[in-house]
Amino acid sequence: MKTRIKELRARYGMTQEDLARKVGVRRETIVFLEQGKYNPSLKLAHDVAKALKSRIEDVFILDG
Amino acid sequence: MKTKNNPEGKDKIRMIAIMTVSLCVIATGILFSLNSFMKGDTAGGTAGAFIAVIIFAFAVFVFIRGNRDLKGGFPLRDERSGKVIEKATSKAFYVTLYLLLLIGFLSDDIIKFRDVSQAMGIAVGGMAILFAVFWAYYNRKEF
Repeated sequence: MKTRIKELRARYGMTQEDLARKVGVRRETIVFLEQGKYNPSLKLAHDVAKALKSRIEDVFILDG
Repeated sequence: MKTKNNPEGKDKIRMIAIMTVSLCVIATGILFSLNSFMKGDTAGGTAGAFIAVIIFAFAVFVFIRGNRDLKGGFPLRDERSGKVIEKATSKAFYVTLYLLLLIGFLSDDIIKFRDVSQAMGIAVGGMAILFAVFWAYYNRKEF
C-alpha cells in the first residue's frame, strides 16, 4: 500500500510528531504508515485522513 | 501524566505496573540465582543470573522509552504496538510449549535439573526471553 501522508504532512507544515499527537498514536506508527509498511484499521485511516484534511482514498492508495 | 491522548493517566499506571512486574521477576531471578549458587549449582545460578540481566536490560529499555513517550505526549500503546505485543505474546507462548516439551524430554538423561522449580524457572525465563526476541522482530516487521 502506498500513502501520501508525507506529501500532505509537508503541505500543512506538520511533523511526524505533530501528526502522531493529533491522531493519538506513537511516532513509529506514523513512520511505518508513511513507508507503507503498516495497514491501518479503518478508524486509524479515517483519523489520519481527517488530520490531513483529506479523504481516505486520497491518503491511502492500494496497489492493484 | 494526563494528556490529550491519555486523558485518565492510564499510561502512567500501565508503566508502574510494567516496572513492578519487571522488578519482581528480576528479584526472583536474583534469589533463584543466589539459592542455586549456595547449593553449589553453578549452571543453575548462572542461568538465573543471565535471565535476570536480560529482563533488567529489557525493563530499562521499556522504562526509558516509555518515560520519553509520556513526556512527549504520546501514548504508551497504540493500534500498531498493541498488534506487535499480541503477536509476540502468542508466538512466545507457542514456542514455550515446545520448550517445556524439550525440558521434559531432556531432563531425564541429558540435563540434570536440581528440582522441578529449577526446570520451571528455566521455562519461565525462556518464555520472557522469547517474548523479548519476538517483540524486537515484530516491531520491525511489515504487517
